[in-house]
Amino acid sequence: MLDKKITFTLNGKKVEFIGDPLRRLIDTLREDFGLTGVKEGCGEGECGACSVIKDGKLVTSCIIPMGAVYGADIWTIEGIRDTELGSTIVEAFADGGAVQCGFCIPGMVLASYVLLKEKSDPSEEEIRQAISGNICRCTGYDLIVKSIRLADERRRGV
Amino acid sequence: MNTCYIPENLTEALEIRRKTHALPLAGGTDLMVQAKQGIGINPVFKSPIMIITGLDELKGIRVEDDGTLVIGALTTSAEIAADERVFYHIRTAASQMGAISLRNTATIGGNIANASPKGDLPQPLILLDATLTLASLDGEREMKVDDFITGAKKTALNDDEIIKEIRVKPVEANYLFYHKIGTRKANAISKLSLSAMANVKDGLILDFRASSGAAGDKVKRKREVEEMLIGKAVSDIPSLKDGFLTAWNGILSPHAMPTYRRESTKRMLSYFLDKISEGAELGIIS
Repeated sequence: MLDKKITFTLNGKKVEFIGDPLRRLIDTLREDFGLTGVKEGCGEGECGACSVIKDGKLVTSCIIPMGAVYGADIWTIEGIRDTELGSTIVEAFADGGAVQCGFCIPGMVLASYVLLKEKSDPSEEEIRQAISGNICRCTGYDLIVKSIRLADERRRGV
Repeated sequence: MNTCYIPENLTEALEIRRKTHALPLAGGTDLMVQAKQGIGINPVFKSPIMIITGLDELKGIRVEDDGTLVIGALTTSAEIAADERVFYHIRTAASQMGAISLRNTATIGGNIANASPKGDLPQPLILLDATLTLASLDGEREMKVDDFITGAKKTALNDDEIIKEIRVKPVEANYLFYHKIGTRKANAISKLSLSAMANVKDGLILDFRASSGAAGDKVKRKREVEEMLIGKAVSDIPSLKDGFLTAWNGILSPHAMPTYRRESTKRMLSYFLDKISEGAELGIIS
């Protein structure tokens, strides 16, 4: 059995996956498409390192089977960093000192992207809420929160 | 290798379910973790799987003419949390479930079918006497969530059935309480949870309900115990409270740390009753 052909959009391009529909999205992204910005932390959907954007929503790719990706629109850090808002966030993270070891950062950037896409001028509480599923063991979060604020100010031209 | 089906509509899903008894995978947030093998290795399932994530017929929320709230089995926690028509206890439980990513993936049908005693949504659903519509090729049947979940990880789902939707009739109440205890704000599995509600009018308790999550093999609720307060005067709460709390304790059967779970449940219920007794402003007790 029983390979399935699953077509979906990945960082704006139509792509095709053929294989076990229960293969995890994270493994497909990292191993089949070489998108190693997607990190595996806990492997149980709790730490957010494997975050990707699926149909406009933040999801953890370690618990999503390929069969659930059929026809979906998937974005990873490799695609988001080249968008206008994405590059603004990446630069703000660098300028704001948000990054130490960097392992959580692709997920953090994607969580920030979804937040800032939906909301202009978010409160600190809203920012912390937006990244509450993304664990960082280095920074203590404060500089990440400040950098998200910086990204929001820059894109609003404040 | 796994046997896996991806039906394109509900009828096809029911045919596959009848023929193969394949286990429906809704959001996958429980099943994918249970079947996990490790980095780069595909999950392994003991039974055939049917990925139903894409079935639009099972998605969405509607309100019927008589006020009944109907939630499609594949509606995500995020969608439930964002919909103001959803009743307080269900909506609050959905909004505190996991973190954003999990809420974007996990479904109400999956949370019920997984039947974990710590599941977040069965607790408020049982409080409100919610029912399930179970579909098979032979038609549909209706069942209370409380009867559907028969124990830890055990349900009354037949092997040719799929949960189609969840139905909840409005329950009149003017005091509402929900509290979940977890180890972190985001992504915590419930250590203990409690929903409670009361309908108070002219100093009388017309209705009182409570339900306890993660305090036994399934969500705990008992009408006979609730009835100890129903029809009684608010001014009698102080004299009724101890007896009620002891009786409520009697229906709990915590699997671990029983003293902690029993004491904390007592304190939460006691807090809610004290607020009513003090004549707190009607609405949500926080």
